Amino acid sequence: MLQQIQNRAGEFVRGVSRRARAYRARTDDEALLFHAAAGFTTLLTFVMFFAGSEWTVIPLLAFVAVIVVGWQRQQAEVAMGLTFLTTIVTVSILTLIIGFLLWESMAIVEHMGLGVFTRIEKPLWTPSEGGVYSLTPMMMGTALTTLVATAIAAPLGIAGAIFISEMAPPTVREVVKPGIELMAGIPSITYGFIGLTILNQYFYTEFRTPTIGSYFAAGIMIGLMALPTIVTVAEDAISTVPESMKSGSLAMGSTEWQTTKSVTLPAALSGVSAAVLLGVGRAMGETMAATVMLSHTKGFPSPAFDVFSNYGETLTTVIAFEGASASGIHLSALFAGGVVLFFMVMLFSVTSQWIEWRMHRKLGGDQ
Amino acid sequence: MSNAADTELRAGYTTLGRQVALPVLGLAFLTFLATWVTTFQWIDESRTVLGLTVLTVFGVALLLMAAGVAGIGVLSRFGYIDTTPSPTAGLPVGIVFGTLWAAIGMAVSFQYLGNTVLSWGPVALVMGAVGLLTATLPREDIGSTVPSALLLAVLGGLIVAGVFDASWVYEAEWTGAIFPGSELIPLLVSGATLLGAWSAGKAKEGFGAQGREAGAFYIIATVVFSMLSVLALLIWFIVKNGLDTFLTGASLTGGHLNVPFTGLSFPFVEVPFVTNVTGSLFVETPGVMPAVVGTLWLVFGAVLFAVPLGVGAAVFLTEYAEQGRFTQVVEVATNGLWSTPSIVFGLFGLAFLVPRISGGNSIFVGQLVLGFMLLPLVLITSRESIKSVPDEYRDASAALGVSKWQTIRSVVIPAAMPGTITGVILGVGRIAGETAPLLLVFGGAPYPSASPNVVGQFSFSTEPPFITNQALLEPASALPYQLYSTITAGVFPRPEIYSNQEFGWGTALVLLLVVLGLYAIGVASRLYFRRKLHYE
Repeated sequence: MLQQIQNRAGEFVRGVSRRARAYRARTDDEALLFHAAAGFTTLLTFVMFFAGSEWTVIPLLAFVAVIVVGWQRQQAEVAMGLTFLTTIVTVSILTLIIGFLLWESMAIVEHMGLGVFTRIEKPLWTPSEGGVYSLTPMMMGTALTTLVATAIAAPLGIAGAIFISEMAPPTVREVVKPGIELMAGIPSITYGFIGLTILNQYFYTEFRTPTIGSYFAAGIMIGLMALPTIVTVAEDAISTVPESMKSGSLAMGSTEWQTTKSVTLPAALSGVSAAVLLGVGRAMGETMAATVMLSHTKGFPSPAFDVFSNYGETLTTVIAFEGASASGIHLSALFAGGVVLFFMVMLFSVTSQWIEWRMHRKLGGDQ
Repeated sequence: MSNAADTELRAGYTTLGRQVALPVLGLAFLTFLATWVTTFQWIDESRTVLGLTVLTVFGVALLLMAAGVAGIGVLSRFGYIDTTPSPTAGLPVGIVFGTLWAAIGMAVSFQYLGNTVLSWGPVALVMGAVGLLTATLPREDIGSTVPSALLLAVLGGLIVAGVFDASWVYEAEWTGAIFPGSELIPLLVSGATLLGAWSAGKAKEGFGAQGREAGAFYIIATVVFSMLSVLALLIWFIVKNGLDTFLTGASLTGGHLNVPFTGLSFPFVEVPFVTNVTGSLFVETPGVMPAVVGTLWLVFGAVLFAVPLGVGAAVFLTEYAEQGRFTQVVEVATNGLWSTPSIVFGLFGLAFLVPRISGGNSIFVGQLVLGFMLLPLVLITSRESIKSVPDEYRDASAALGVSKWQTIRSVVIPAAMPGTITGVILGVGRIAGETAPLLLVFGGAPYPSASPNVVGQFSFSTEPPFITNQALLEPASALPYQLYSTITAGVFPRPEIYSNQEFGWGTALVLLLVVLGLYAIGVASRLYFRRKLHYE
């Protein structure tokens, strides 16, 4: 094991030094100077901004000056350096997000221990200095709404994807596909407003839910919102299946549906499940519809699967609802909620990417 | 399968099965529509048709469908109808029916025998097994018609007999909510019609492979049709409820279009709801002007931030970097950014940007945070479109002795521009409707009385940072934020003009118009460029 790590590290160091030598060999001294100056001023700008200095503008201006002069003298090299810089910035934004989430949630973990993620006895949430903060009911709420949403979005989404890619005549497809994409474009707050004024009222008057707003109603709306994601990604996966596989099956005399069911879908299965995972991730991170529709009462429904109970709070809604007015340890607890949310969604996203990547490799992809 | 080849080919060919199946399908479709119309309360469930209440009509329809479906199945089994059934309906069908029967058994015994696993478990298990076996053991023509006919008949019979009627209530043990028959029956019936349509669809094509294809088609087409109807309903709700507010005081020629620098003025369309401020006592019609301006500034700033970064990174990744560990890391990071929940971006802005830039909510931080959210989309789409620039272009350019950077600048980027622009427009449509991060880093007064004046507020000084813009460092309103604050504020400040909900619907309509307009432009430009690429 240790040997393996040593080998890996050695390989890495050799790779880096090889690249460094190659870089040195094709970059002349002047270009090197510009690269170094641009890199240094960027770093300085970031450090001073991070420290909150009011003099941040000085290195920023220096950076601009370096770029302007460099653009006149060494355009190609400076352009390449700039594109490299933008790549680094993209990666560092994600790093910064993770870093800040973890850093800001340290205080609540010091205060509550791991109880912030596991405590199930009352009191659960008393927002005051030195109060009790437990994220468990919100995790429960997120799980319930996500389950309802997935139960709606996964079957409908897969059916939609099959319809678009395998069944629909071209003219119908031209209408349905942009229609579904349009559905993805409707802002979540609009879904929330419709859910609040129509769906919540409907469940309250007809099904006499204990409060206006329930996990079930919010789950339905979130499911509708996750639907386009699943349809689009699953449709992509289904159309990745090589035409030759389908033609082979059709040439054997099987019907379109037999081909879809026994050839296309099994071949695209991993891609379709990646689509569902991505949809689940979207449903989990969905904020506004749930914030507007739920009652913001924290607690555990009994039995646990009672989606019509008077409790209604998820990880996203608690952050959106209390974030603007929270401070101190209360805010730190919300950051801890953000950490849970971020890593759960990231888990789903990375898994689905990995599945997709494997599928592309298996089918030869279309690159 | 002896006559599989000649079923469709003879002109005017019908069988008894087809003649029965088609009306059943039609009946199923109509009933399906009617159940949803009832659920949405466009028809009250107590209304009577031909002396029967709507629910009873549903029951009769189910019984008719059951009779038709079972009839075809039995006639086919005894050879009176020409069909091509398989030996069995197949395990998936069996599992579906088994689950349905088990669920019925569970629901009934839960209610009457008590809620311990010991009491409802065995009942559910036995019923499930019965459902599974009755569907899989007989030949396909029986296996896929009689079990579903049985379900339809039981439900229809209970409704017609009056056991299930509008006043019947299912009071579940496991929840505080109740399920009144007036709402539950249409839902059950709509599920049952799907089952009936599936059976009738199979029967219409004479079972076998053709039949299964038809059955699957009817189910999936219904699902997709319902999905699109939901979309249409959503949009219709907003338009119907928002139009009145939106058009208050509007006229075709009441406004003025001032041509700058010439002093000329033309009559123009006037929509006060869009051009007036929200919170002032001096306007006749409160409007959403500050929110519209706020959204425009947000989008402008986000694009200004994200597009250079995203396109630059895409160029580096496709043109300069070796495909390897580094590009993989960037790819994972990009997809990670793309799937990060929007509220997490808000938290990040709150922790990192707010204390360092403005010390409170501000337009500038809002622009940056939305820019972070736009960045991965710009990167992904422009990377795709740079990749799809044919290598011949690059080779031709290199063969002329043009340097790599010149090639990128004058060949690759122009060729990739259409795809990038489309991606940016679609991304802008997405962030223009984004609300969650704005709650944490951007939003100000719920009913602003003035639009943010960014252009007029630049000031220079000898102190660092030399250029400041007070308007950018202050909170403002944006359309989605306006809708949220209208929802949460409860009472509109001038209730004699708009109720809170009316103002909300109007705001939602403006927001929808902005976002869908951007989407329409994005989708249209994609179609346009795709055609151009294909036909050139």
